Amino acid sequence: MRAPPVALRRPARGFSTPALLAYLTVIALLALVPQLTHKPSLLHLWIMVFLAISQGAAWNVIGGYTGQYSVGHAAYFGLGAYITMLLLEMHQVPPWYGLGLAMVGAVLLSVIIGAITFRLRGPYFVLASIAVAEIIRLAALDFRDFTRGAEGILLSGIPPLQLGAHLTIRFVGKQPFFYAALALAVLAVSSNWVVQHTKLGYYFQAIREDQDAAHSLGINPTLHKSIALAISAALTAAAGAIFGLYVRFIDPNIVFSLPDVSVQMVLICIIGGIGTILGPVLGAVVLVLLSETLRNPGWLVQVGVLGEDSTLVDFIEQRLSSAHVLVYGVLVVIVILFAPDGLLGVLRKGLDRLRRRPGASAAPRAAA
Amino acid sequence: MIVFFQSLISGILVGGIYALIGIGLTIIFGVMRVINFAHGDLLMLGMYATWLLFKYLGLDPYVALVVTMPLLFLWGALLQKVIINRVLGALPQNQILLTIGLGLIMSNSVMLLFTSDYRILTTSYSSSSFSLLGISISQPLLYSFLVTVAITGVLFWFLQTTDTGQAIRATAQDRDAAQLMGINVKRMSVLAFGLGTALAGTAGALLAPTYYIFPQVGGPFTLKAFVVVVLGGMGSIVGATLGGVLIGVTESMAAVYVGSGLKELVVYVLFLLILLFRPAGLLGKSRA
Repeated sequence: MRAPPVALRRPARGFSTPALLAYLTVIALLALVPQLTHKPSLLHLWIMVFLAISQGAAWNVIGGYTGQYSVGHAAYFGLGAYITMLLLEMHQVPPWYGLGLAMVGAVLLSVIIGAITFRLRGPYFVLASIAVAEIIRLAALDFRDFTRGAEGILLSGIPPLQLGAHLTIRFVGKQPFFYAALALAVLAVSSNWVVQHTKLGYYFQAIREDQDAAHSLGINPTLHKSIALAISAALTAAAGAIFGLYVRFIDPNIVFSLPDVSVQMVLICIIGGIGTILGPVLGAVVLVLLSETLRNPGWLVQVGVLGEDSTLVDFIEQRLSSAHVLVYGVLVVIVILFAPDGLLGVLRKGLDRLRRRPGASAAPRAAA
Repeated sequence: MIVFFQSLISGILVGGIYALIGIGLTIIFGVMRVINFAHGDLLMLGMYATWLLFKYLGLDPYVALVVTMPLLFLWGALLQKVIINRVLGALPQNQILLTIGLGLIMSNSVMLLFTSDYRILTTSYSSSSFSLLGISISQPLLYSFLVTVAITGVLFWFLQTTDTGQAIRATAQDRDAAQLMGINVKRMSVLAFGLGTALAGTAGALLAPTYYIFPQVGGPFTLKAFVVVVLGGMGSIVGATLGGVLIGVTESMAAVYVGSGLKELVVYVLFLLILLFRPAGLLGKSRA
């Protein structure tokens, strides 16, 4: 008897036209945002959300779809930031070339890291991925001649980008970064879409479900894990590059951070819903809104949710500003204990329940 | 030559504490097959408990062990019973993330309570040292090492000879078989996590007189604990003891002969090499 090629947790659905239309509409609406508001704190919030979506979706390719829980993605994030910033500051290479080189660099690094870590499985893989990223962070701190060590790199300015004869983009204010981050988020989410619905992605998912079975069916696990890692690394490096250019200062403890980058990328997916297209999006929105609100509640006033003299803002600023990581921790524990499919899973279950309620129109349910 | 012996001695002294951290982690892993990423944060709690007792009650850190050890044992047992027990059969990745989450909660709660300022616990002997044949031995490090040796000895005695200790080892060897023999494996898990937590907390207490105390201090120790345990072989207590001392000596040698900024880098490289070429560790039996 001939078995089906791969066993999948969820039956894969093809590209559906309504979903694609909805996706394009959302992108178009988001692209209008900077035309509607110029409030810097709001645009900042969007940029952080887009970068977090990019990071989460990037990690999702290797962690969610291929099942390799790398907790060392800060290596690629930091590398991307450092390549772009160093080229710009030391050699005046414009960042749009720097970004490309950063992605190439990350792919090369991912090949090396993959060669080391993909021989290991489960917890040993996790530990090795952490060790590699920490080695890179410590090296970046120590080789001062090259990276300036803990002193970091402060960006003096970004040259304007000349597109054609008439369009010049000046990197002042938040608007250019908004579009750059949005473009990357779209690219990253689209990559998840592709991985979920194409043959290449089916290979990834087969390895996640059972590496040995996938191997015996003729899938080369090391090759496909390396491809997944390369995609993931390139996207992560691009996020790092845009992050560095946007905040204008990086040092090894920021961009190579284990808790703030590596762990956070995993948390975005876990909290939202791992191995799904919308999961990292949802996780990123929730995490960024929570952490940015606790860090700097001023935007609530600017949006008009709270009044100018609201005591809540003072309370948050004085008592909770350092608690944003605590919120991550609590969310992760709750999600793992009570909602292993993430917030997206909770939403789906809620919708299912609504539909099944007697009296509601009995819409045919998607295969569970 | 004197430099060599000096760094060898201080490496062994620090290594004793690393061993204690590693033994705690390895007991937890052995009995429950859970990799505890919150281990360093448990150590941090031990540090803060010691610091508080010293600051408000004037209790000497070594005397305070009679309070901090049981306190952390109870905390660990509670964590296991209420939270970690629920994921015993879950995917290892989820267990890892759960303990990462718990670690974040602990370190950030401490930060909210005590701010992220660096605290120092200065005893009358904090910076004094003995001199032996031209080698100076830090007093607090020596005391800590002696306490470590004593605790490790008691622990070996407990695990080898008492009924409960044997039950814990049996559970670590084969959970199902142990259960069939009438061992209450759930209770053993609670005991093991409590024990592991108490050992991590003790290591924190022993480090408190010579180390900065701050909420994020645990992270590097979590990693170091993994290095120690993987080096010795996951689940092997003798291995963890040996691994701790080896890592301590490696670090202090690397600090002298390679550069102090690179000592941790050397340790992680060593860790990777062991993972790749001897994944069962120096003393462990190959399981995977």
